[in-house]
Amino acid sequence: MTVSIELIPGRCEGHAVCEAIAPEVFRVDDDGMVQLVPDSDHDDATALAAVRSCPVAALRATS
Amino acid sequence: MRRIAVVGGSIAAVTAASWLRVRGFEGTVTLLSAETEQPYTRVPLSKTVLSGEATDASTALPPLDDSVDVRLGTRAVSLNTRARRIVIDNGEPVPYDGLVIATGGRARRLSPPGMAGEKVLRTLADCAALREDLARAHSVLVIGAGLLGMEIASTCRTLGLQVTVVDRDPPLRRVLGPVLAQVITDAAREHGVVLRTVPGGVRLVGSRTLEGVDADGDFLTADVIVSAVGDVPAVDWLTGSGLRLDRGVVTDSRGRVANDIVAAGDAAVVRGVGRRPHWTNAVEQARVAADALLGEDVAGVALPSYFWTNQFGVEVKVAGEPAGLGEPDMVDVDGSSMLLRWSAGAAATVNHTVPVRKLRQLASAT
Repeated sequence: MTVSIELIPGRCEGHAVCEAIAPEVFRVDDDGMVQLVPDSDHDDATALAAVRSCPVAALRATS
Repeated sequence: MRRIAVVGGSIAAVTAASWLRVRGFEGTVTLLSAETEQPYTRVPLSKTVLSGEATDASTALPPLDDSVDVRLGTRAVSLNTRARRIVIDNGEPVPYDGLVIATGGRARRLSPPGMAGEKVLRTLADCAALREDLARAHSVLVIGAGLLGMEIASTCRTLGLQVTVVDRDPPLRRVLGPVLAQVITDAAREHGVVLRTVPGGVRLVGSRTLEGVDADGDFLTADVIVSAVGDVPAVDWLTGSGLRLDRGVVTDSRGRVANDIVAAGDAAVVRGVGRRPHWTNAVEQARVAADALLGEDVAGVALPSYFWTNQFGVEVKVAGEPAGLGEPDMVDVDGSSMLLRWSAGAAATVNHTVPVRKLRQLASAT
């Protein structure tokens, strides 16, 4: 992977749209907030599509 | 297929453009958006952006990469499917081999053309204008007690305004059903909102400027009058294209409209299902439609739809469509938190933390 993803603090509301697109990258845990799956092996285009799908713009990608 | 045009600028359009690349489409992708801002999320507009707590800039979606030609301020005005050409507002033709229709909707207005004073909230520009008006106001009248109208009411209370909401139906009943609607209605009253139900509907009062509404003989007015009475699919540009329009452009379950044409999001009406103007649905439809355009036989999403609202300190998450299902079969209450389930295919939480994945599974479990 060349893209690195971060959560913008305080924005996630747990709608899990990113998880539905890229479950290999994002996981909504039992407290309802998204977590990044550590060391995930993912396709950049899919991860970016998931980053762009957040309804509260809580995700950021840098390459 | 060498050239795909995506018409629209919101989440369905952005997702479709992204997903074409995910599926390995290497041709040209051009996105035509009538709005002048980079694609953004409308979700916070009725909440933190309207209150001023969040900036306009915070709504920007992470940008599409350079492989997508994003043309802002570019409104499609007509479509010729035989010539495979879109015409944009400066008269320029935009040829395509494949087309994604994702033009979304615009706010429905009650006042006739030429009457000023009715505010709406759909775009970032609407939000900025309304926020400015609210900053000088003491009171607001919201026409429409659906999700958007009630979210605006909630935000206006946090700003310290006197708030009245009027609708022909009890607040949120049509979208959430009686139990969930009551929870939020109680919270709205506790927060000091005046709720008026006028079964016959309201009549606008004013000539050049909207002065207020006649609600069963009572005249209601406020410093700011905002309507939140639904949206109109933005498919005017498809008139005369030969594509089937029925309060939106008609698609099959995979988003297919015609040969090499698909649609997704608020502009699309799925045959036998209808319109589902929610964020999650726009994202899912866009992915399925992009797949279908590339000829991939990918099944649609099997899980029930998902939407949410946040207002008056109440966070509601909903899987499926409980509005028509009456009373839930199961209600689990713990203080101010609730988990509800309708065996006909819906589930919801109120101030209760369950991963949305599980909520949707719960809704679909029989």
